[in-house]
Amino acid sequence: MLEYGTKIVAGVTPGKGGSQVYGVPVYDTVKEAMQEHEIDASIIFVPAKFAVDAIYEAIDGGIPLIVVITEHIPVLDMAKVVHYAEKKGVRIIGPNCPGIIVPGESLLGIMPSRAFRKGKIGIVSRSGTLTYEVAEILKDFGQSTVIGIGGDPIIGTKMQDIVKMFDEDKDTEEIVIIGEIGGTMEEEVAKMKKEGKISKNIVAYIAGLTAPKEKRMGHAGAVVYMGLGTYESKVNAFKEAGIKVAKTPFEIKDLIFS
Amino acid sequence: MKLYEYEGKLLFSKVGIKIPHGIVTEGNIDWKGKAVVKAQILEGGRGKRGLVKVTDDVNSTIQEMRKLGINKFLVEEYIPHDREVYLSMILDRDTAEPMLIASPHGGIDIESSGEVKKFIIPIERGPRGYDIIEIEKYLGVKGLFQVIQGLYKIFTEYDAELVEINPLAVTNNGVIALDSKVILEDNALYKHQDFLKEIDREYSPDSYVELDGDIGIIGNGAGLTMATMDMVKLMGGNPADFMDVGGGADRERVRYCVIKVGSNPKVKKILVNIYGGITRCDEVALGIVDAYNVIKKPIFVRLVGTNEEEGWKILKEHGINFYENPIDAVRDALR
Repeated sequence: MLEYGTKIVAGVTPGKGGSQVYGVPVYDTVKEAMQEHEIDASIIFVPAKFAVDAIYEAIDGGIPLIVVITEHIPVLDMAKVVHYAEKKGVRIIGPNCPGIIVPGESLLGIMPSRAFRKGKIGIVSRSGTLTYEVAEILKDFGQSTVIGIGGDPIIGTKMQDIVKMFDEDKDTEEIVIIGEIGGTMEEEVAKMKKEGKISKNIVAYIAGLTAPKEKRMGHAGAVVYMGLGTYESKVNAFKEAGIKVAKTPFEIKDLIFS
Repeated sequence: MKLYEYEGKLLFSKVGIKIPHGIVTEGNIDWKGKAVVKAQILEGGRGKRGLVKVTDDVNSTIQEMRKLGINKFLVEEYIPHDREVYLSMILDRDTAEPMLIASPHGGIDIESSGEVKKFIIPIERGPRGYDIIEIEKYLGVKGLFQVIQGLYKIFTEYDAELVEINPLAVTNNGVIALDSKVILEDNALYKHQDFLKEIDREYSPDSYVELDGDIGIIGNGAGLTMATMDMVKLMGGNPADFMDVGGGADRERVRYCVIKVGSNPKVKKILVNIYGGITRCDEVALGIVDAYNVIKKPIFVRLVGTNEEEGWKILKEHGINFYENPIDAVRDALR
């Protein structure tokens, strides 16, 4: 992230206060870090068993944007965190996500720089490496901002929220969605488009055509319970809303700006 | 982690949900008269396969099922009843709150039921009397307080993903759970080691999901792996499995995954799709070579990202096909 140009001003690890990493000072608590530095965002890599503590600490510190990379956080714990963050007016991205990248400007995450170039396509994705794949496929066009919202069932910011933001973003001309089976966020986006609430062109790819029912496909959120969030449900919703659906990640290139 | 019916019913009895009197057994037992013999397996659709049987001769039924490969049984008293309803609890992703799902039609596949109502029970307040009244009125059944409280308790205190009672029998002695489906969240199992010990279950979460096909699939990242399976299907092949090596996979992890996938007798060829961000391609290549020496089935490797040239060199030295574009890898694998 430092190499990309992100202004990392402090690190927090309980017990490691006073040390340094690549020249960045480390503190024992968020409060201590905030006494010394102005902080706009936080990125959390804390292991699952303690990640929720770290998120609460960042929320209580008043940090307005918190990106959570950590996977395997228990879902009910995350549900409580999400409600708390909402109450305090803090935005969480993730968990179980690769973060955010604004090509050419800043990286708050783990995305490999090789796939990204400044451009006009906004990408919102539930995936990690599949996001890099799609970004690289679209590299000639370039990306405005790429946001990984995470693969868990309960996340801080939903796909529909990001799509709305892209629709209002002057640097984004077209929107690409990378979705998966499970949940109904993609259906909600389709509903918004159908109701005329999104004006920009959207191209979507959904992973999970071959996923069996009620079986978790890696991501905690990539599972179909009660018949909700099947591949067919999402693709049909998109088609009805006039959102083009790519059959493979590579087809996105043919459907964008078309 | 999915629980067996009898394990789920153990939880039910802990929280006060009425269940039929029953015995778990692996062989013949001393039971006189009518009973329901239920195979204790994790796959669904037992009824359709004749693995749930009302019988007057428990031991013959047990022996019949043993011939089908079943070795654990729940033998329960037969409960006469007029009505069956459906109740379950899952997490509503939209509101991030526990959600109770009810249907006046129990005993059938809930997805084809048609008549279903959802009730959000916010975690900050838990189930209240007025929730119960509303649900009872919807179902036309009284006496649901203990069941609903119990479902909520299991859901929140055991970190369940799904708690389902289908059917819930309505009898003169109140409501009784005739079946149980409980899935505990893998990520939270570390909090419930005492319960796991109690039911004598060990559980190591593994991303591996077996399917029917003959092309073994391994990827790094759930979305990328699903996309790879989908591409194989679209190009005329049949995926044998889903297997995600996970982030930052090392040589040993990759070796384990390739061997696991390759050991499936249905698998004829293996397709590996890696886009290495944090994951290093040279580590991946070494793991693939290690595994290839063990399973010796054809492997097609798409490998790009960090240290890709080192990775390609290692694969080339061992005569393993590698590709930059996954479509080429899939095409060759399906030739």
